[in-house]
Order: sequence, then C-alpha cells, then structure tokens
Amino acid sequence: MPDKERIVRVPIGPQHPALKEPESFMVDLQGEKISAVTLRLGYNHRGIEKGCEERTYVQDVYLVERVCGICSHSHSTAFVQAVEEIAGLELPHRAAYIRTLIAELERVHSHLLWLGVAGHEIGFDTLLMYTWRDREQVMDLFAELTGNRVNYGINTVGGVRRDISPEQLPRILKVVDALEERTKYYIELAMTEETLAQRLSGVGKLSKEDAVLLGAVGPTARASGVDRDTRRDDPYAAYGELEFQVVTDDRCDVFGRAVVRLGELMQTYSMIRQLVRQMPEGPITVKAPLRIPAGEAVSRYEAPRGEDVHYVKANGTDKPERVKIRAPTLANTQSVAKMLEDGYLADLPIVVAAIDPCFSCTDRMIAVKTREDARTMGWEELVQYGVRWYRERGVDVSKIKMRGDSTA
Amino acid sequence: MSDAETVVAKLVAKFPSLTGRVNVQRATRVWVEVDRQAFAGVFHFLVKDLEFSNLCMITGLDEGADLGFIYHLARNGGLMANVKTRCTKGESMQTITPTFLGGGIYERELMDLFGARIAGLPEGRRYPLPDNWPKGEHPLLKDWRPREKGAQDA
Amino acid sequence: MTVGTAVVNILVFPGFLFLVALGLAGEFVDRKLYARFQNRQGPPWFQPVADVLKLFGKEDVIPEEADRTTFNLAPVFALAAVVAASLYIPLWSATSLFPFDGDLIVVLYLLLIPTVCFFLGGWYSRSVFATLGAVRAITQVFAYEIPLFVALLAPSLLANSWSISKIAAYYAAHPWLWLVNLIGFGVALVSLLGKLERVPFDTPEAETEIVAGSFTEYSGRRLAFFRLAINCEAIVGASLIAAVFLPFGLGLAPWLGFLVYLGKVLLILGILALLRTLFARLRIDQMIDFCWKVVAPIAFLQVLINLVVRELI
Repeated sequence: MPDKERIVRVPIGPQHPALKEPESFMVDLQGEKISAVTLRLGYNHRGIEKGCEERTYVQDVYLVERVCGICSHSHSTAFVQAVEEIAGLELPHRAAYIRTLIAELERVHSHLLWLGVAGHEIGFDTLLMYTWRDREQVMDLFAELTGNRVNYGINTVGGVRRDISPEQLPRILKVVDALEERTKYYIELAMTEETLAQRLSGVGKLSKEDAVLLGAVGPTARASGVDRDTRRDDPYAAYGELEFQVVTDDRCDVFGRAVVRLGELMQTYSMIRQLVRQMPEGPITVKAPLRIPAGEAVSRYEAPRGEDVHYVKANGTDKPERVKIRAPTLANTQSVAKMLEDGYLADLPIVVAAIDPCFSCTDRMIAVKTREDARTMGWEELVQYGVRWYRERGVDVSKIKMRGDSTA
Repeated sequence: MSDAETVVAKLVAKFPSLTGRVNVQRATRVWVEVDRQAFAGVFHFLVKDLEFSNLCMITGLDEGADLGFIYHLARNGGLMANVKTRCTKGESMQTITPTFLGGGIYERELMDLFGARIAGLPEGRRYPLPDNWPKGEHPLLKDWRPREKGAQDA
Repeated sequence: MTVGTAVVNILVFPGFLFLVALGLAGEFVDRKLYARFQNRQGPPWFQPVADVLKLFGKEDVIPEEADRTTFNLAPVFALAAVVAASLYIPLWSATSLFPFDGDLIVVLYLLLIPTVCFFLGGWYSRSVFATLGAVRAITQVFAYEIPLFVALLAPSLLANSWSISKIAAYYAAHPWLWLVNLIGFGVALVSLLGKLERVPFDTPEAETEIVAGSFTEYSGRRLAFFRLAINCEAIVGASLIAAVFLPFGLGLAPWLGFLVYLGKVLLILGILALLRTLFARLRIDQMIDFCWKVVAPIAFLQVLINLVVRELI
C-alpha cells in the first residue's frame, strides 16, 4: 500500500548517534518498516588523491596512512606495494613478515572494535565495554611495537621502519593467547545469548547472487557465501607462506557476518603465531630510489573490512602521476540498500554497522569552503605555523632535522 | 600455460585487433588496452566468458586532451585484468551498470572528479562532491587548482 | 493530622524532596552497578546530583514548531504524578501516608501518567525522532501495562483488598504466603523495566535509531524534570513492588524498618541493573510479542494459582 500520506521520512545522518562518521541515509518509513533508502556519501572527502599527486612518494606513504584511522596499515601497505612493484624492489623477507604481523594485529583490533560497535548498535553496551577493554591489549601492543596506537607509520617504500626485537616476540604471543581465550568466550556468547540471536538472525539479508552483483567484499561477501579473500587468492607480503583457512558462512545475514568475523579472529591468532615462530632474520629494508621510474601497478590488499585496491601511476619523477584508492566500504555500501529492503528502522543501525563501514576511508576529496575565517596554508607556511605554535608553548622544534630532509 | 597466458590467448583469438596490446605484468596482472569502439565487446567477453565477475574499481586518468579509464576486473583465483580505454574529453562512455550494478558509484566518482560523461547511468545522488559544488569544476583534472579565498560559489 | 504536617509530609518527608533524594541515589546505584557489571569504573556518588544541577543551569531550547504549552507542562506533570503516587505506598511502616481502599488502582494509574507525558512531550515536539519515540512509548504501554496490572492483581486477590496498605498488612500476618506470589514478582519486575524504558525495552529512546526518542528536543531544566521523574518512578515502582511482593520487616522499629525498606529497594534496583546488563535491546515488534505471548500468560497463571490457593486456605 504505497500510501504517500503515511510515509514518514527520517534523516539518519549526516549527524546521528548511530553513525560515527558523516554519511546520510534518508529513510522512508511506513510505521516501523523501511520502504526506501536514499544514500548520500562524500561528507568526508579530504582530497587525498589530489594531495598524493602533489607530494613525494615518501610523503604519500604517511598521507595514505591517514585515509583511515582503523585500517591505516592497510592503505599504506597497499600503496607501498604498488610503488615497490613499479620500482622493481624486492621486499626483504623479514620486512614482509613484520608487515604481515602488523596487518594481522590490525585485523584483531578492527574486528574486536566491530564486535563492540555491533553490540552498541543493538543496545547491548555490555558487549561494547567488554570487547573494547580486550582490544586495549592489542592497542598497547601496537604502541610497544610501532610507537603508535593508530597510524603506526611502520611502512616505507622498500620495507619497514622498525624492527621487532626478540624480547617483543613472546609478548605478542602472550597477548594473542589472552585474546584467543576471550574470543572463544565471545563465540560461545554469540551462539547462546538469546536476545543477540533475535536481533541479528535474519536481519539484513544479502543473497550470494546479490553480493556478487553489487560487488560486496570482505566479511560482508564471505558471510553471503562468496569465497573471496585476497590473502589467499593473490598472496602478498608473507601470506604465501602461511597456513590459514578462509572463513565463509551461508547465513547471508548480520549474524553470519558476526560469525565470519569471529572465525577470522581465530584464524588470525593462528597466523600471528606462525609469523612469530617463522620470523626470519635479515635486513628490514632495501634502498628505494626517490624518483620512481615510469610505470603503473595495481595493488590489492585484504583489509579487515574487505579488499582494498590501490592504483599508482609513476612518471619518472619523485611524485606520482596518479594515485587511486578504492576502500572496501565504497564497495560494500552498494549492498546496504539491498540489505535494508523491507527491514525495520530498528535494524538499520546494525545492518549499516554490519558492513563495518569506514566512511572516511571511502571519501577522500576536499570541499573548498568559502568561509570568512577559513584560509589555505601552503606546506612551508604550515611548517612555520607548527614551529611557531610549539615555540609559544616553550618547545623549539626548528632545530630538529629529519633524516633525508635536505630542505630544512 | 599459466592462467594469465590462457586469458591472453583467448582474448587475442577472439579479438585479433588486440594483438600486441595485451600485456602480462606478472602472474596475476594482465593489462589490456582497447579502443573505445571495441571496449564494450572486450569488457563483456572478459566478464561473461572469462568469468571476471568482480569489478574492483574504475580509475580515471587525465591524459591532456583525453580522459583515460582503467576498469580493474578480478576473478576467483586472484587473476586481475585491467582494461584501459580512453575517450576525448567531452565524449561519453557507456555505463557498465547493467553488468555491475554496484559499479555506478565508481562512474559517479569519475563524473564528479574528472567531468567524465557516462551515458545510460540511472538517476541518483552525486558522489562525492557536495550538492552546491560549482558546475564545471573537476578537482582531479591536472589543471585544476582550489579557488582563492573569498571566491563565491556559482 | 493537621494541614501543616500534611504539607511537610507531601513536600519534604517522605514526599517530594525525600523522593527526589532517593531517586538520585537510586540512579547512582543503578549506574555504578551497571558500570561494575560491565567492568568499568562508574560515576562518583554525586554524579546524578551534578547532572541535574548542570541541566538546571543550561540553556533551555523550545523548538519553534513545538506546542509550547504541552512541551512545557509534560515534564512537570510527569514528576508531579510520580510524587503523588509515592504518597499512597507504604514505605517502611504497614500503612502509607494517605491510605484508602482502592489506592492500588490509583497508584497504577498515577504511574501511567509519566509515560503519557513522554508521549505528549515527544508528540508535540514535532521532531521526527521525538514523534517516533512517542509512538513507540505509547505502543509499549499496551504491552507491559496489562501484565503489570494482572501481576499486582494476583496478591490482592488473596488479601481480598484493593488497598496496598491492607495487602501489606495481610501478608505480614501470613508470613510465608508471599512465596506464592514469586511468579508475579518476576512479571512485575519485567514490566517495570518496560515502564522505565530500560534495556531490553528501551526502544522508545533507542539512541542508535531515534537519537533520544521523546526527549530528543528537550534540554535544560525540562530535561532535568523528565530525568527526575524517571528516577523517582524507579523508586516508586520498586517501593510498590516491595510493598506488595516483599512484605517483611513491617512491624519493626522505624529506623530498622527504614533500613529493611532500603534493602528491598536496593535489591530490586540491583536486579534491574543486572537485567539491563545482560540483554540487547529488543525490536518493538519483538518486545510486544514477548510481553503478550510470554509475560502476560505467566501473569494470568499467577492469578489462577492465587484463586486456587484462596480456595485452599
């Protein structure tokens, strides 16, 4: 009964408590049922692709890392892999292992984060508090291994920037053991808790055919029975030497997506153990040229949210000609409208959350505001501003010379 | 014969004009360069007959007078086919949404950021630029620069 | 009782001020327990007081579209109704301040008024989230109110009275008979969760769907009034359940009786906090299914048991 009078239009976003990042869902409601959804993305476009063309490859590694706060390592790895392929660099064995180790730890923290967010979206805050407390252990581990909790800055063209000391390896294993215990508990919880099952089962259905047609990736696709995982299909870094299974599920609903992520966590723990056990000796970096020879490459990377694709075109200078980033969320948002069809408003938050969206990843281009107080700063001006800012607070950073920095 | 070479052989057998324009970069990367007129046929052949069922993304390139397009296709097993084509700025490409429903968003991105014209794309909200973005401004074109402070929206 | 003492009773003790103090303390207990169950630190004891004071000092915004009168009055009515209800519930002694036959029914109706106020306040905010919250709140009433009524009806059948004070006195005289009503006790607790709009029945204010439901447009002191009303409702609801289902320690010395009363309310608040830790939020259709298909039949079973027991003794 498409009665126009009885349709209520609810704006979910761009600012809404269910969404941690700006995006907009215009939801048409008939009672509690959703009759149509209009999606609008792009609120967070920051001009990273354009910015990459105007910076050197070394600077780009750090810029690309800031595409996303959660899967920062994914983007920087995908980018340096493409650059390394163009430059014909052979990644040192140990560097490949360290990259993979950080990548898998990132998956642990991302999936635990997702579990908490999923709990929160269905009003199960206890799960949120528990998982995020456990996640702190990985974050602390990151701080110890890389110096940062997020945006680890461990990648560089031709290798990694920090080595992992022999004393740190047992510490990693300890964290993995503890988290494996906790994950087993969450799996048990997911399988037995009644309200959880009621809220997740049969919600946000996406059939296998639709998943393929709409180009879903990562756990979203795998929970619809699509057996795709870049780590196995197109191995990069050290994945070719690891033993693991690709977790799939044919429930095709939010519950399936949770099951896939929990299963992946267990696989990831086993992969981290293998990485720590087989960690080879050797250098962690090869010397990379500042000017990358002309050429192009596409790099694929299985981020926690799905396949992350980077395209880099080099023109022989120290700056890339073109960088193109496809974050997994952009691929997955296409299926959200399908999942919401005939659903309830109450299910919208969890269905959206179930693709583990990361809209900052998705949007990368800036909107130039013409506000009165807004101003544009060049790189030099920004550096000067930063130096001045710190000097006013009693810290003089202008004397510090960065390695390989010839201009300062 | 490796997976990539099989694909190349099949492609060249079906489209003799592609001889010399198909290039195997490594075991999982095939690059195909095709004219705009022949694009639809090659694309369809790759998707339907060679089972490249996954559209990873579409890259746009500003090549001076031309706009370049790279359609990154992948199939199970990890093989990736990157189909390059180009058209003069102002000409339009045919949409791929009948084959890949989810690909519309990549085409909209090209429309906003490069000013590409895509024929046959269903109605929808623009992506990713804001609704009040001035007409004719396409940030990823090489000669585009942010406007000076104080400039008013059109 | 002179008019003077009556006014003091209503406004200060054990009326308005006392109830508000108890309500804020109750909120602290609930939040602290909830936090500890979730492995968090939780707020300091004065946090609820600080929250209310801060809200009173905040700017007060009324949406232009809103109906000003209803928008303004709804929070005050909600709080007033709860305070009025508290006067008819015996707290630590066997009788309430102003007992009369049939006060149980009056209390139940007075306790319904806050929910109606949530609905009116939300509906006349004219915001889409508030409207949705209001509709959900009123939908939910039909689900939990019947089981609550039936659950409270069962003990009164045995006591043969509609007066809370007389029910309490009856069970005090027949010490072990309260065990018969255990099922009703559980039903009443579940219904109270719905009344207080707490997880798993917090759909009317589900943050991740409709922001804050009815309260979306409320700010400043009006929001403070609503929050006080909910806090006091928790205490009054717990007291009502304690008076009807847990009738011991009534004949003790006043200070001891007061401690026993606090213990009972704490127990009920603790159970409520535990329940809200354990569950995820139900969808509105699942909530109504649950209340009608599970809770209501159980409540009627209690009535049946009590009818049989009444014949036996």
